[in-house]
Amino acid sequence: MIDYKKIDLKCGLEIHRQLNTKHKLFCNCSTMMQEKEPIKIIMRKQNPTQSEIGEIDTTAQYEFLRNRNFYYQIFPSEDCLVECDEEPVHPLNQEALEIVLQIALMFNCTIPDEIQIMRKNVIDGSNTSAFQRTAVIGLDGYLEYKGKKIEITSISLEEDAASIVDEKNGNVTYRLNRLGIPLVEIGTGLLIGYSPEEIQEIAYFIGMICRSTGKVKRGIGTVRQDVNVSIKNGARVEIKGIQELGLLSKVIELEVQRQLSLPEVKEETRATNPDGTTRFIRPLPGSARMYVETDIPPILIEDKTIQKIKKNLPEPWTKKLVRFREKLKLSDDLSKQILASDYLDLFENIIKKFNVNPSIVANVFVSTLKDLKKREDVKIENLTDEIFEELFELLDKGKIVKESVPDVLLYKSKNVNTSLEDCIKKIGLETITEKELREIVKDVIKANRDKPSEKIIGIVMSKVRGRVKSEDVIKTVKEEF
Amino acid sequence: MYSEQVQSFLKKNRVEIGDEIKLIKNKNFYEGILMPRIELGDKNCLVLKLKNGYNIGIKFEKNVKIKKIKTVNKNVGKKEKEVKEVIFDKKLPVISIIGTGGTIASKIDYKTGGVYASFSAKDIVIKVPELKEMANIKVEQVMNIMSEDMTPEGWKEIARAVAKEINSGVRGVIVIHGTDTLHYTAAALSFMLKDLCCPVALVGSQRSSDRGSSDTVMNVTCAANFVVNSDVAEVCTVMHGSMEDNYCFAIRGTKVRKMHTSRRDAFRPMDELPIAKIHWKDKKIEILNENYNKRSEKKVKVNDKIEQKVALIKIYPGIDPNIIDFYIDKGYHGIVIEATGIGHTPTLGKFSLLPKIEKAVRSGIPVVITSQCLYGRTHPTIYRNTRELLSRGVIYAEDMLPETAYVKLSWVLGQTKEMGKIKEMMLTNYAGEITERIDPRAFLF
Repeated sequence: MIDYKKIDLKCGLEIHRQLNTKHKLFCNCSTMMQEKEPIKIIMRKQNPTQSEIGEIDTTAQYEFLRNRNFYYQIFPSEDCLVECDEEPVHPLNQEALEIVLQIALMFNCTIPDEIQIMRKNVIDGSNTSAFQRTAVIGLDGYLEYKGKKIEITSISLEEDAASIVDEKNGNVTYRLNRLGIPLVEIGTGLLIGYSPEEIQEIAYFIGMICRSTGKVKRGIGTVRQDVNVSIKNGARVEIKGIQELGLLSKVIELEVQRQLSLPEVKEETRATNPDGTTRFIRPLPGSARMYVETDIPPILIEDKTIQKIKKNLPEPWTKKLVRFREKLKLSDDLSKQILASDYLDLFENIIKKFNVNPSIVANVFVSTLKDLKKREDVKIENLTDEIFEELFELLDKGKIVKESVPDVLLYKSKNVNTSLEDCIKKIGLETITEKELREIVKDVIKANRDKPSEKIIGIVMSKVRGRVKSEDVIKTVKEEF
Repeated sequence: MYSEQVQSFLKKNRVEIGDEIKLIKNKNFYEGILMPRIELGDKNCLVLKLKNGYNIGIKFEKNVKIKKIKTVNKNVGKKEKEVKEVIFDKKLPVISIIGTGGTIASKIDYKTGGVYASFSAKDIVIKVPELKEMANIKVEQVMNIMSEDMTPEGWKEIARAVAKEINSGVRGVIVIHGTDTLHYTAAALSFMLKDLCCPVALVGSQRSSDRGSSDTVMNVTCAANFVVNSDVAEVCTVMHGSMEDNYCFAIRGTKVRKMHTSRRDAFRPMDELPIAKIHWKDKKIEILNENYNKRSEKKVKVNDKIEQKVALIKIYPGIDPNIIDFYIDKGYHGIVIEATGIGHTPTLGKFSLLPKIEKAVRSGIPVVITSQCLYGRTHPTIYRNTRELLSRGVIYAEDMLPETAYVKLSWVLGQTKEMGKIKEMMLTNYAGEITERIDPRAFLF
C-alpha cells in the first residue's frame, strides 16, 4: 500500500462538461452530434506561433516538427464556416453564459464585472483556428467536502475541440461537429492530503453540482476530467481526457506508481488509455498562451443579471438526495443511483407529471434498463424520453401493470415505429377489467374444486401475468373462494 | 483608453498600465497586470490580466482600492530594429517583398495580450521559414494602411516601388496588401507597369498572421515560389485556391475579384481560368491558362498618370437618374456603370437614365457599360434598349469587370481626354482585361 501522505501526493482537477444548449458557443450550429456522414473533408496545416518570450513555444515547435496534415470532416447542420475557420465568430451564446454563471454561483465564485473572451493557443489541430476560445466566468469559489472547503480556483466557459478520429503517419483526422460545443471548465486548487479515492469523490461532487442545473449534457464523451499529479521530488504531470469518473482514482494510482518507478520525472502532458494507464503526448505547454479574442467585445455582467440567477438557482444535489429519501420514500441506494443516473431529469419530470410510485419509476431507470441491456442486448438509446413518458402515463392510467414494463420496453425497442399502446396489444399485455378477472377466477375455481386457494392463485396468475396487479388476483380469489 | 475618472484614479495611486497590481472591491481581491483598455467595452472597467492568462474587467467604483505590487518590464512588446535584407545563400535569387499594410509577421505580446505588426525581414522568415529554401529576400514597406483606405495615389506609390525593385534586378516581387481592395490595386498595377518582365504577386491574408491557422504562410510561400520559378511576367494575385491548405491560384490582376467576405479562397478568377495553380508542399507550378506574357530582359516602365475624378455607379430598380447630374456638376471626367444583365439601365419614364447618359456623353464624359453579373460579356445590339444606350455614345466594355473598368478608365483618362481615343483605348486589351475567348470552365471557378 502506498502512503499518499508520505509521498506528498498533490493533485489538481480540471473538469470539463458539455452544456446542453441548442446552439454552439459562437455560431448557430446544432450541438446534437448525430450526423454520421461528412459532407466534405478539408485538409489544413498549422503554423507555430511564438510564445510570450518571443521564441516559438516548445509545444508549438514540437507539433510543428511533426509536420502533420489535419483532415477535418464537416457535418451537415452541425458545422458551418465558423467551425471551418472561414468566418468570424458570432456573438457569445447567451444561454451558455447563463448556465455557467449559474454553475459559478453554485460554487460560490465571484463573478468579474466584465468578461473577456481569450484565445488560448492549441497546436495539436483539434481546433481549426489553432486556438481555443475561453473566458473566465467565476473566480475564488469553493465546495464543501468532508467538512473542509475545496478551493475552486476558476470556472471558465470554453468551446469544445474537434474530436480525433484517426492518426496515421502524420495524417490526423478530426470530426468537426464537436468543435464549438459550449463547455464549462472547473478548476480546483491543489488538493493536498487526499487519497486517490477521495479525489475521485471530489470530482463526483463537482459533477453532481453541474448536473443539478439540468443543463449539462449526459452520456459518453460529454464529460472529460484532467488531473495534474505530482509527488515529492517529482514534477507536474498533466493527464488529459479521463472520460469515466470511475477511472480517476486508478489513473492517479497508476501515475503515482509510474512516477515512483522513474529515476527522474519530466513535466509532460499524457493521455489516458481505456485501462487507466497513460501515454506521453507532448511536453507540458507554457502557462500563459493567451491573448484577447478581438472579434468579440468584452461582455458586461450586470448586477441584476446575477441577482436574477441567484434567485433561481437549482436545488443543491445534497438537498435533492434528502428529498428523494424523505419525500419520495426511495431507499438510500436507489436515491443515490437515480441521482447519478443519466435519467435524473426525466425521472423528476415523470414523477411530477404522473401519479406513479417514484420507487417504481426509479427502478425502471436504474435497474430494469440495465437488465434489458445486459440480458437482451436492448438498444436503450432507441428508447426516447417521449417513450418513457408515454409508458408511465399508461401505468398511471392503469392500462398496464408494473410487472409488464420490461416486456413492453423490450418489444418497443425492437419496434420503435409501433405505438406503445399497439405494442402492449401485440404482446397481449393490455390490462383486464375487474369483471374479466372475476370471470377467470370463477372458471379456475370451477375446474379445480379440490385445490387449495394458494394453488388457485398460482393458476390464475399464470393466465393473467402482466395484465393485472398480483394483489388484485389474491383479493379476487379470496373473495370468490 | 480608460475614462478620465479611472485615469485620475490610477494617477493618484501611481499605477501605470503594465504594472502588477492588486485590486480590492467588496471584500474580493484580484491580482494581475493592469492592461490597456481596448477600444470596445466599458471605459470604467479596469482590465486585469490574471496569473492564469485570462483577462477580466472590474468596474471602477468608489470602493475600489488599488495597490501596486511591482513595475513590470515596460519594454515588452516594443519593436525591435527592423532588418531589411536577409541573404541565406548567394546562389539563390533575390526577391523583394513590398509592404503596403497588413502584416505577414505579427507578434503577440502575451504580457499585454496585444498583437502588433512587424515588417522586418527577420520576422517574416521566422513566420515563413520555407522562404529560406527559395530565395534571398529584401523587404520594403512603402505604406501602412488598411486596404479599405487605399487610394489611386497609393497605387502610384506601389507601382513605382515595384518598378524600382524590378529594375534593380530582383527575380520577382511580392506585394503584401489588405484583401478588401486587393483586386483594384492588382488592376491598377496591371495597367501602370508597362513592359513587365517578371512576376509580380499580390498577396493578402484572410486570417490574421498571429494565428496558427493563418493563410499567410501558404500564400507567401506559394507567391515566392511563383515569382522565383514561373515564367509568368504578369501582375497576379496569389491566394488560396480552395478552403484547404493545398494550393494557391495565381490569377490575372485584371480578372480577379474578392467573392467572399471571409473565406481563404475568396479571390476567384472571372471569365478565365487562373494562370497557374501553385502547389504548396511539393512546389509544383501547374499552368492552367497559357495566355500570359513571358519573362524578358526588358526594363519595366511606369505609366502612372491617372484621372481620379471617375465614378462607379451601380444600377438598381428605382435608381434616381439625377445621380448622373451630380457627377456632371461635380466635374467628373468619366463614369463606369455597373449595369444589369447584359448591359441595361432603366429606360422608362422618369426612371430612364437615357437622357442623363446622353447629357454626360455630350458634355465629353465617357460612359462605360459593365455588368453586375460579373461573369460574361456585355452586348450592345441584341436588345432594343441596349441599342438605345449604344446610340447615346456609351462604351460597352466587353466582359471587363466593373472594378477593372473603373481602374482602367481612370488610367485611360490620365493619358487622354479625347473621346475617340478614350473609346479606342478602353477597347484595347492592355493587360488581359478583355477575355477574347471565354472558357466554359471559367464560370464559378
